Amino acid sequence: MNISELFQRGEFVVSAEVGPPKGTNIDHLVEEAKTYLTGVTAVNVTDNQSSVMRLGSLATCKVLKDEGLTPIYQLTCRDRNRIALQSDLLSAAMLGIENLLLLTGDHTKMGDHPQAKPVFDLDSVSLIHTVKLLESGRDLGGNELVGEPPKFAKGAVVSPCSDSVDAQLAKMERKVMAGADYFQTQAVYEPEKFIKFMEKAKQFGKPVQLGIVIPKSVGMARFMNANVAGVHVPDSMIEELKADKEKTKAGITGIEIAARIIKECKPYCQGVHIMALGWESKIPDLLKLAEI
Amino acid sequence: MENYTKYKLKGNDELVSLLADKDKVFVIACNKCFKEFETIDEPDCGEFEKIAAEQGKTITGSAKVDFLCNKTQTEKKLQDMIPEGTEQIFVISCGLGIQTVADIAKVPVYAASNSLNYTGHHGMALTKKSCDACAQCYLNITGGVCPIVDCSKSLINGQCGGAKNGKCEVDPDKDCAWEKINKKLEKQGRTEEFLNQPVQVRDYSKVNFKVVNDYVKSIREERFAGYYGGVHPTENKEFSEHISLERFPEPKVAVISMSQHLGAPANPIVQVGDTVKVGQKIGEAAGFISAPVHSSVSGTVIAVEPRMHATRGSEVMAVVIESDGKNTLHESVKPNKGYEDLTPDEIIEIVREAGIVGMGGAGFPTSVKLKPNKPIEAILLNGCECEPYLTADHKVFMEFADDIIYGLKAMIKTVDAEKGIIVIEDNKPDAVALMEAKIADCDNIEVVTAKTKYPQGAEKMLIKRVMGRQVPRGGLPADVGVVVSNISTVKAISDAIQKGMPLIERVASVTGEKIKNPGNYIVKIGTSVKELIDYCGGVTDDDVLIKMGGPMMGFVLSDLNVPMMKGSNGIIAINTDQTQEVACIKCGRCVDVCPMELTPLYFAKLADEKDWVGMRDRNVLDCVECRCCDYICSSKIPIVSKIKAGKNAIREMK
Amino acid sequence: MLITQLKSKETIVSLVDGKKVFIINCQGCKEVHFPEKEAAEFQKELAEDGNVTGIITTDYICNPENMKLRLEKHMSAIEAADVVLVFSCGVGVQTIAEYLEDKKVCAACDTYPLPGFQGVTPLEYDCDQCGECYLNITGGICPITACSKSLVNGPCGGTKNGKCEVDGDMECGWERIYRRLAQLGRQDALKCPVQIRNFATDDEVKNL
Repeated sequence: MNISELFQRGEFVVSAEVGPPKGTNIDHLVEEAKTYLTGVTAVNVTDNQSSVMRLGSLATCKVLKDEGLTPIYQLTCRDRNRIALQSDLLSAAMLGIENLLLLTGDHTKMGDHPQAKPVFDLDSVSLIHTVKLLESGRDLGGNELVGEPPKFAKGAVVSPCSDSVDAQLAKMERKVMAGADYFQTQAVYEPEKFIKFMEKAKQFGKPVQLGIVIPKSVGMARFMNANVAGVHVPDSMIEELKADKEKTKAGITGIEIAARIIKECKPYCQGVHIMALGWESKIPDLLKLAEI
Repeated sequence: MENYTKYKLKGNDELVSLLADKDKVFVIACNKCFKEFETIDEPDCGEFEKIAAEQGKTITGSAKVDFLCNKTQTEKKLQDMIPEGTEQIFVISCGLGIQTVADIAKVPVYAASNSLNYTGHHGMALTKKSCDACAQCYLNITGGVCPIVDCSKSLINGQCGGAKNGKCEVDPDKDCAWEKINKKLEKQGRTEEFLNQPVQVRDYSKVNFKVVNDYVKSIREERFAGYYGGVHPTENKEFSEHISLERFPEPKVAVISMSQHLGAPANPIVQVGDTVKVGQKIGEAAGFISAPVHSSVSGTVIAVEPRMHATRGSEVMAVVIESDGKNTLHESVKPNKGYEDLTPDEIIEIVREAGIVGMGGAGFPTSVKLKPNKPIEAILLNGCECEPYLTADHKVFMEFADDIIYGLKAMIKTVDAEKGIIVIEDNKPDAVALMEAKIADCDNIEVVTAKTKYPQGAEKMLIKRVMGRQVPRGGLPADVGVVVSNISTVKAISDAIQKGMPLIERVASVTGEKIKNPGNYIVKIGTSVKELIDYCGGVTDDDVLIKMGGPMMGFVLSDLNVPMMKGSNGIIAINTDQTQEVACIKCGRCVDVCPMELTPLYFAKLADEKDWVGMRDRNVLDCVECRCCDYICSSKIPIVSKIKAGKNAIREMK
Repeated sequence: MLITQLKSKETIVSLVDGKKVFIINCQGCKEVHFPEKEAAEFQKELAEDGNVTGIITTDYICNPENMKLRLEKHMSAIEAADVVLVFSCGVGVQTIAEYLEDKKVCAACDTYPLPGFQGVTPLEYDCDQCGECYLNITGGICPITACSKSLVNGPCGGTKNGKCEVDGDMECGWERIYRRLAQLGRQDALKCPVQIRNFATDDEVKNL
C-alpha cells in the first residue's frame, strides 16, 4: 500500500517504528508487530539507527510485508554512496516496498563503529531528488532504467520543535522542492510549538505526521532534553512523570501525556508516527486513549 | 618547476547567472598562489571584470590583494578599500580567501572561482601529491610508498587485482601502487615482514576538522602572542644555561676596536709605547652619535692600527695593548655619588664618558637614548634574550640583579619615566622569580614575563608586546613614550655610577653543540675570540659554523682572530648547513612570519631584478633584519642579504 | 605544510626493533606543528641504548635537492643504520624513502591535514578544496568544512542547542549559514536547485 494515496484520500495515517535486532533472528520483532501494530497503517523500519550496526532495513521490510504489514523503508546516506543507495531503492521496488523515509542519518561517530568512514555522498535532499529521478526512469548518472520505473511514497523528516524553526522550514522547503511527498516529525512534546510550526508548514501542502515518543520516565525525559536534537520535554511534563511513582502504574502517565499531545495536535496534522522504543505493547492503549 | 594553481575562475555560464540579479560589484582577487610563478598580476581579475562588463554591470572597483587568506593583513587592507554604493563583492581566490572576505565585509560576498584540490603540500612537493594526511601513516608497512595516495582505491592490505601490465585500472598511465610497494619490499627483503602484518582497517575518525581546528587554534595563539609573526627556533640554551658565570682569564693582548658602536668610530688618543691602565680612555668619541673607548687591561700599547673587525668583515682602527697582568686601575676610575644625588645631566655625562652603548648588539650610544626629546612613560629593560643558544643575559640576571635594578632606577630618574618594566621570556623562570623578589618594594618597577618567541628582543616587537604600541614608520621608541635598554647595558650604567668603571668587560656565552666545554664568562673587551674558544676546549670537529652573536642575527666568523666587543653577547659554534637556493614557490611563509608585516618574497624577487624603487615602495627600509624570513624560507633564499643589498642601494640613491 | 603527531612509543620502538637506527627530524613546518619536545625526549631515550648512529634536525626534507645536500655528510652514519626513522609528515618520509632506496625508512609520525594551504598559518579548517565552491549559496561559510557531514543542502536535524551532534563544542555549520544569510537578507540563496557533490578524483577535477 502506497501511503501517499491514503493521505490523498484524507485519511489520518498512523505509523509506528520498529528497529531490527543486532542479529539474524527477527521472530520477536515480527511477533510484536503482529500483536501490537495491527491498528497502525504502516510500520517504519529503521536503518542502522543511531549508527549502530543491525540487521538491514530492507530485509526486515520484506519480512514484515510478507506478514501482511505495510512497511516504510528508512534509508540513510551515512553508509552508502549513490550507487548503493540507488541499487537498494531498485531492490526495494522489486520487493514491492512502496514507502520510503529518506534521511541524512546520524554521523558514524555516534554509533558503535566510530572508526567507520562516514559516507554522506548524498544527503536527505539529494536522496529525495534521486528517488524522484528514478521514478522518472533515469538514474543520477543520467542513464535510463530498463522497464517500468519504480514508484514510491517519498517521506522525509522535520523537527518542528527545533531551536531554529526557520532553518527547519527552509530545509523542509528544500525537501518539498526535491520531491518529498509527506513528512514525519521528530518527537513533539510542545503542542503549541508544533501548531505554530504547522501554520507555517501548511504552505507546502504536504501531509505531516506528528512524531510521538512515549515518555517512559523522568530519566528518559531528562536524557532526551540533554541529548536528543529538536526534542524538549517541558518541566511541567517532567513533574507530571515524577508523580507517576507507583510501579504498577508505570507508564500510564506517559501514555496519558502522549495521548493528550495527539489529541491536541490532531486538527493540525495528517497523521501520527509513534516511536515506541521498546514499548510497542503500549501502542494499542495509546491509540485508544487518543481516540484514533 | 611545474606551475600550479589553487583556484580557477568559475565557468562563464555560471558567472553570468550568478551576476544576473546583481549590480555595483566590487572585485577582489588574491594575488598569490596562482598559476604561474612569474606572473605579477592575477589575470583572472581582468577576465571577470570583462564578463561583468559584458553583462552591463557596474564595477565599483577592483583590487588585487596578496595572500587574501591572511586575515590579520587583509583586515587592514580592506578597511578603506570598498567604495560607497558597492552592493556585493566578488572574490577570486581559494575558499580561504573568499571566506576571509565574507567574514570581514558588510555586503554579500560571492565566489567567482572554485578552489582546486591542488596536489601537494609545502616545501617542494607542491606539484606532486604524496601524502593525504590520513593520521595513521602506513609508510612503515609499505616500504615508504603511500598506499592512500598512490593506490586509486587507497587500499591498505594489498593490490585489488585490477592492475593490467602493472598499470592501474583507473588510469592506465599510472603505475599500480601495490606493484611498486611489493617490488620495493622484495628488494629490501621485507616481504615476509609485510605478510606478517595484521589486517589493516582504516580509522576514519582520526581526522576530523574539530581536532585540526583545535590544534590550529592553540598554535595560532602561540604564533601571534604579543605581535604578528615571529618564529620559534629550537632554543638550544641547555648547552650553557646551567653553567655558572666565571671570570675569563686575563688576555695577554687586548685588541680594542675604535668602532664598537653605531656612529662615528672613536679617535685613538694613545700611541705605541704608551702605558695604559684599566679604565683609561684610549679613544675619544668623534661626534654626537659616537662613544669613547677604554682600556680593559693595564699594560703597554703595542700597536694602533686597523685590525680585523668581527661584524664589519673588514679592518677597522684598533688599539692593541699588551697586558702586564697587574690590572692596575686608572686614577679616573672612582665611585660617583649615588644616582639619587646626581642630576639627570650628570648621569648622562657619566654614561657617555663610560663609553656605554647598547650591549644587545646594535651598539647605539646609550647617552643619546637618555636624552629623548619626548616625554617617556616607561623604560623597557630587555631581558628576553630571544636568540637561541645565548645565555649571557640570563647569567647577568642571576648574578647582577641588584646592579640591574640600580641602573634601571638611575635611568628612570634620568629620563623622568613613570616606571620601569623588566621583560623576561618565560624560558627563564629562575630569572623571573629572582627579579620579582628583588623589586618587591619598588612601586615603579614591574616584571613582565613574555612567551618565548623570536624576535621578541627587537625593540619594536618588545614595545608592541609589552605596551601594545606601534612605533611609527621610521620613528623611535621615544615617539611612543618608551626607552628600551638591554639589561647588560643597565648593569654597565650601574658600574659606571657606583664604581666609576667604564665599559671594559661584559658577559658572553661561548656555546653551541660544537664547543667542547661551553660556558658563560665575564670577558674583557678586546679578548680574542680564538682565545675564548681554545679556553673552552676548542671545537669538536672542523665541520663547524662559528658566529659572533646568536644563530639568527649573529655574524659568521671566518677569522677567529677578532676581538670581543661591547656588543658581543656570545660566540657560538654550531652545525653547518648545506643547502642551495631554489626558485621561490610563493609559499608565503615569509609573509606569515615577518614581524614588521612586510612581504619579504617580493624583496628577494625585486633585489634580483635590481628594482630598488620597487623595494622602497614595499617599505624595505622598515625591515629590522631579524632573519625570520630566511629562517622559514622553504626555498632557502637568502632573503635578508638581498634586503641588505636593496637597503644599501636605496641609501645611495638618496 | 602539515600537522604531525608522534606515533605511540611502542609502535616506534617496534619499528626500530633493537636495530641500529639513524634519525631525521624535519622542522620545516614547526611553526604550524611539530612535536619537538616529545620527539627530542624520545630520541634521547632511544640513544641511551647505544643503537642510534646519528640524529639530524633539518627542515623541508620534502625538497629533494636540499635534502640530498644535507644528508651527504651523514651518509656513513646512515649506511651504518638498519632503519632510518623519519620524524616528519608523510611527504618528507616518502622523499627520504625514495632517495634511500635500499634502506628501511620508517615514519615516526602520523600526519594530519592542515586547514590552510599556503600563505598563512591558517586560522580554521575553512576550505576543503572541493573544486565546486558552495560559498555563494551559503553566505560565505563553507558547508563542506563547517558541517561534520559536509552537507550541501541544509542541516541534518542533529543539531542540539545550536551544536553539532558529533561534537557538543562545535557550532552547527548550517545554523551559522542561516544566521549569516538572514543577516545579509539572502535567505533566498537556498532556493537554488538540489546540490549534488562531484566526488570525481583529483586529476579529473583539476583538469576541468
